[in-house]
Amino acid sequence: MITSGLIQALLWGIASGCVYILLATGLNIIFGVMKLVNFAHGQLLMIGAYIAFTVTSALGLNAYIAILVAMGAVALIGVGLERFTFRKVLGTDKLNEIFISLGLIYVFENAAVLLWGNTPQQIPSPLKGTQLYIGQIAIGYDRLLAILIVGVILFALFLLLKKTKIGLAMRATSQKSSASMLMGVNIEKVYIFTFALGAALAGAAGALYGMIFPFDPSIGALPTIKAFAIIIIGGLGSIPGAVIGGLLYGIAENLAVYLLGGIWQDAIAFALLIIVLVIRPTGIFGERGE
Amino acid sequence: MAIKKAFANSFSLVKSEVADFYRSQKLYPVIITLIIAAIMPFFVSSYVISEVLTPMIIFAIYASSWNLLASSGQGSLGHAAFLGIGGFTSALLTIKLGLPSIASLFLGSLISAAIGVLIGLACVRLKAWFLAMVTFGFSVIIVTIFSEFDEFTGAIMGFRTPLIVERGIPFYYTALVFSAISIFIIYLIMKSKLGLAFRAIHQNELEAKMIGINTAKYRLIAFVISTFFAGLAGGLYAQSIQYIQNFIFAPYYSFLPLMMSVIGGLGTIEGPIVGSVIIRVIDSYLPSLDSALDGLLHPLFPSVSHVGPPLRMLGLGVFFIVIVIFAPKGVSPLIKKAYNYLRSSPKEKKHDER
Repeated sequence: MITSGLIQALLWGIASGCVYILLATGLNIIFGVMKLVNFAHGQLLMIGAYIAFTVTSALGLNAYIAILVAMGAVALIGVGLERFTFRKVLGTDKLNEIFISLGLIYVFENAAVLLWGNTPQQIPSPLKGTQLYIGQIAIGYDRLLAILIVGVILFALFLLLKKTKIGLAMRATSQKSSASMLMGVNIEKVYIFTFALGAALAGAAGALYGMIFPFDPSIGALPTIKAFAIIIIGGLGSIPGAVIGGLLYGIAENLAVYLLGGIWQDAIAFALLIIVLVIRPTGIFGERGE
Repeated sequence: MAIKKAFANSFSLVKSEVADFYRSQKLYPVIITLIIAAIMPFFVSSYVISEVLTPMIIFAIYASSWNLLASSGQGSLGHAAFLGIGGFTSALLTIKLGLPSIASLFLGSLISAAIGVLIGLACVRLKAWFLAMVTFGFSVIIVTIFSEFDEFTGAIMGFRTPLIVERGIPFYYTALVFSAISIFIIYLIMKSKLGLAFRAIHQNELEAKMIGINTAKYRLIAFVISTFFAGLAGGLYAQSIQYIQNFIFAPYYSFLPLMMSVIGGLGTIEGPIVGSVIIRVIDSYLPSLDSALDGLLHPLFPSVSHVGPPLRMLGLGVFFIVIVIFAPKGVSPLIKKAYNYLRSSPKEKKHDER
């Protein structure tokens, strides 16, 4: 009985970890290329969840197709953010980026309240309530599919970064932006594309999150902290690190709920954050300090 | 012996600072501000005194404490944790141990500073964004901790806080005295070598290290001083609203000093004060437009029952972003410019316009 409970916590952990992996990967890509941290990334997840919710409940679209809509829409928002806010303070005091993200948190959360109200919602998934039973272990098909979708998105991202021209430009810019500019890379375009890509990943994470958990306009802050904990475990700027960190984190969170009780679910993120940062300020798998 | 010497040194420093301060033209705005603050209660209702002006003065301490920390390059996103710790401990010390409330106010600030040491130790080697995340995370976890020990803290339901002096005008002047002293101490720190070290670290930590500044030590010092005053502000704030509950740890209270400092002018002594006046006035007087807005805009946003509050917060966010992008030094330079313009003779005016 105890072992089956543990295995269940493990499986659930992997599923929720997958959602956070997407968020952390988005943050990581943006940081790697632009050396910029967007603290309002969790709010992009929330907006993505609401967009997916709107197109499924109002237009009757399949929830899994709505993921694509959410990705596209949040990517567009990302383009706007990069162009009109972050670009203005890029290269100035690091605190300014934090201030801008903070203003964005206010803007997104309250815009969401105005547009969608305060009541918690959940995206109506076609697989809602169906579960796969293996012995005493039960796991929703939604969660299993979420794991699969995250795998597909990460594989596509890998191909994009390694096999395409824009991926090459992004990798070059992340190594040294001034040198890649001299080699003829259009840095501004790379920045816009990178930010849009990171935002699209947050949008996908939001759509998946909204199918598994109920959400309201104020949910964004916690996923941001969790994504940060994952990045710190996995190392800043490392995508494989984010995947390992995300899985470890999701499992740790669900084990904490299973062993210690629900109130500790969110506290574990902070505990991990502190412990890892005190022991190794650059993260467990991180190589680069900055 | 060494202590005596250090004491004499700091005393002469204070003396020369005061003399400097007196010689410079800065004294007039300070006196004017203090006079305005002192006579305000005679012109406004008791509601305005206890609901608008007293919190404004207390938040000036709180924002100044955040601003001091930010002047060393450390932007905390979780200062509400220390506001709350100060508020809870000072109230609980009086209620549970029967200490006089002025003593528990100081003890509460000291406990806040002690916890500030712990968090500061975790933070001093971190880059700006990790520090922001750790402090923000701390303000989230502290709610869990206070709720878990609810039997002792009473944090879930909240409780009435004991007061130093009677609410209203007496408490207003008490807060004013505390605020004036705290901000003067923060001014002295920012003017001293300590403040210079903070600014050097903010500008370029590596270079500061190279010229021999022990950056970790100075960053920790900034953390301790800042959390002490945040705790003091928390103790006073809990008294000013006569009630304390978990809500004091909310991100709203963490973001407030940041917004006040940045809108007023980051790294300046007058910035947080100007910012707290602006934000408190917006927070106190714009809600009166809410009912009109509800009637006007409700058809546009049918999913919310009250359009006003989210719309105001949205506007605040946009205003804040605009300030950060277009006026990174805040609004206080504009006020300074206006003051100099009014003060100077016509001949000097021509000179200024250059």
